[in-house]
Amino acid sequence: MGNMSKLLNKPFKAFTLYALIILVCSIPVYVFVVDYIWLAELDEHNQIIKQQIEKGFEKTPIDAAEIDKLLTFYNSIGQGTKITPDNSFAKITDSIYTITRENQYADELEIDRFRGLLSYITINGKPYKVTIETNVEETDETLLAIATITILFFIFMVLGFIILNKRIAKKIWQPFRNTLEKLKVFDLTKHQAIEFEKTDIEEFEELNTELSKVIEKNIEAFNQQKIFIENASHELQTPLALLKAKIDLLLQNQELTDAQSQIITSINSSLSRVTRINKNLLLLAKIENKQFTDSQPIQLAQLIEESTESLADYINQKGFVFDKNINTQLIVNCNPILLEILINNLLINAIQHNTSSGKIGIELSNGILSIHNTGYKALNTQTIFKRFSQSSTTTANSGLGLAIAKEICNGYGWKIAYAYTNGLHYFTVTF
Amino acid sequence: MKILIVEDEKELAHDMVNYLSGQSYICELAHNFHQAVEKINLYNYDCILLDLMLPDGSGLQLLEILKQQNKQEGVIIISAKNSIEDKVQGLQIGADDYLAKPFHLSELAARIYSVIRRRQFANTNVIEQNGLVVDIQAKTVSLNNTPIVLTKKEFDLLLLFLGNKNKVISKSALAEHLSGDIADMLDNHDFVYAHVKNLKKKLAEAGGENYLKTVYGTGYKWEI
Repeated sequence: MGNMSKLLNKPFKAFTLYALIILVCSIPVYVFVVDYIWLAELDEHNQIIKQQIEKGFEKTPIDAAEIDKLLTFYNSIGQGTKITPDNSFAKITDSIYTITRENQYADELEIDRFRGLLSYITINGKPYKVTIETNVEETDETLLAIATITILFFIFMVLGFIILNKRIAKKIWQPFRNTLEKLKVFDLTKHQAIEFEKTDIEEFEELNTELSKVIEKNIEAFNQQKIFIENASHELQTPLALLKAKIDLLLQNQELTDAQSQIITSINSSLSRVTRINKNLLLLAKIENKQFTDSQPIQLAQLIEESTESLADYINQKGFVFDKNINTQLIVNCNPILLEILINNLLINAIQHNTSSGKIGIELSNGILSIHNTGYKALNTQTIFKRFSQSSTTTANSGLGLAIAKEICNGYGWKIAYAYTNGLHYFTVTF
Repeated sequence: MKILIVEDEKELAHDMVNYLSGQSYICELAHNFHQAVEKINLYNYDCILLDLMLPDGSGLQLLEILKQQNKQEGVIIISAKNSIEDKVQGLQIGADDYLAKPFHLSELAARIYSVIRRRQFANTNVIEQNGLVVDIQAKTVSLNNTPIVLTKKEFDLLLLFLGNKNKVISKSALAEHLSGDIADMLDNHDFVYAHVKNLKKKLAEAGGENYLKTVYGTGYKWEI
């Protein structure tokens, strides 16, 4: 199939790629949002702590001397909050900052990020500077976590896509596949229109309707062609009969010269050829119309015997070496007329397309009938069974004998084949 | 001998009359079903040549009428249809023979000859001509009481010649007579020559006069 891919795989690839792009783009957005929420939340948290400190000092008054001692102890615990006397008297407004610092307690080198609040409070009328710092997750760690989760989800999504794709392909495309199967086995010559299964998918229903229309038209055209051939051949029979009778009458003329007689003989042979083609066309139409319906068990060996006997004159007159090798008793269930035509046509073909004083052989074994004759070169296997396919330079050729043979075999499901080996044309029919 | 030709193709019917008249047959024509029924009701014939497809009816219906009237005519169906069903049906209803169009007039004459003989000389079907005695049923031939042994094909040829006295019969007509439909499919009919030669030789060896003449380039003639 080369570069062919299934229909559903195309959107699948596009969807997957699109999902990948969106998810990758979402990673920095997530990181930014999460970081922002973190910081906003910590700022609020720091503010609350500052207010608690302020309220605490207001509720429990402590004298000035003790305050310094207390604050020194408080600051030394290092829980992130520091209160120091502010001597600048600047009365600066609150400020927020982020700082990264090495973790002094960790065994390994570890950089921590802190969110800080710098504010000013008044205790006992004296200004103090308050710094509150809270540890906050680093951006790169957030990024790593989010990226990992995103990729994990992406993998889940792709797996989901694959499974869904398969299921959808199976379910949704079922009617399409039904249609396709029916088209594959459709045979125009069998005169059977296709009955497509009903489907609730609009597009497929539409496809089936249109296909049905096309097929119906084809069948109709095919039937018309068949009827035309049949009618045309019928119409030709009477003028042909007239011509034949006229020639027979002309022959009775006593005053015919030798030259005239020769001309009449040539006319006769051309007329025979037209008659032959016409008869064969009619026969072909009848076979296609399934007008040979009745069948009965037939001894193939016996029929071959009869056929070769009736053709013996023709085989002998050309001095062919005839070889018959029939060692099985095969009984074929079919129409006796058709089987006779099949064998006759193959034998006649072997007589007509032979080399001078060549060979003809007929063999029946293991359910295979094989007829061979000497020939100059291999024939085109593509066209050999087609109507009028061979250049008919020999006047005897009707160009339809093998087409009829093929049609008969088709009707019964027999396999007819041609091969050329060692200077011999082989025609085989597998019953 | 009276023959009724029921054929809507007038030209062909006249050709048949033309050929058969030379064989001491009296021919009458009917070009449609209606005419045919009229003639059948009025006269008796030795043989009726019947086209199945008539403009105003089917030849098969005509056969039924003949059967109902218990007529003894020999009937040969002549049809362009060449379909097996028609052939089988026709022969079942009571036709004696079936000939598909197109046919050689010599073949038609031979069939008429044999049908009439079969009908008229049911028990002793023997043809005699200048000392030549042909027993159709026993398929034996003798000349002045000397038996002549013929092959089946030679015998068939002899009958064809006897049914077409003084007529030139083409090689292809002889071949068709001998091998039926198969002759249609093959062009080279040289084998006919061998059979005719043998027949001629056997007749001559028995001391017969040479009735069988070769017509240069075209065929043979039984001249009497």
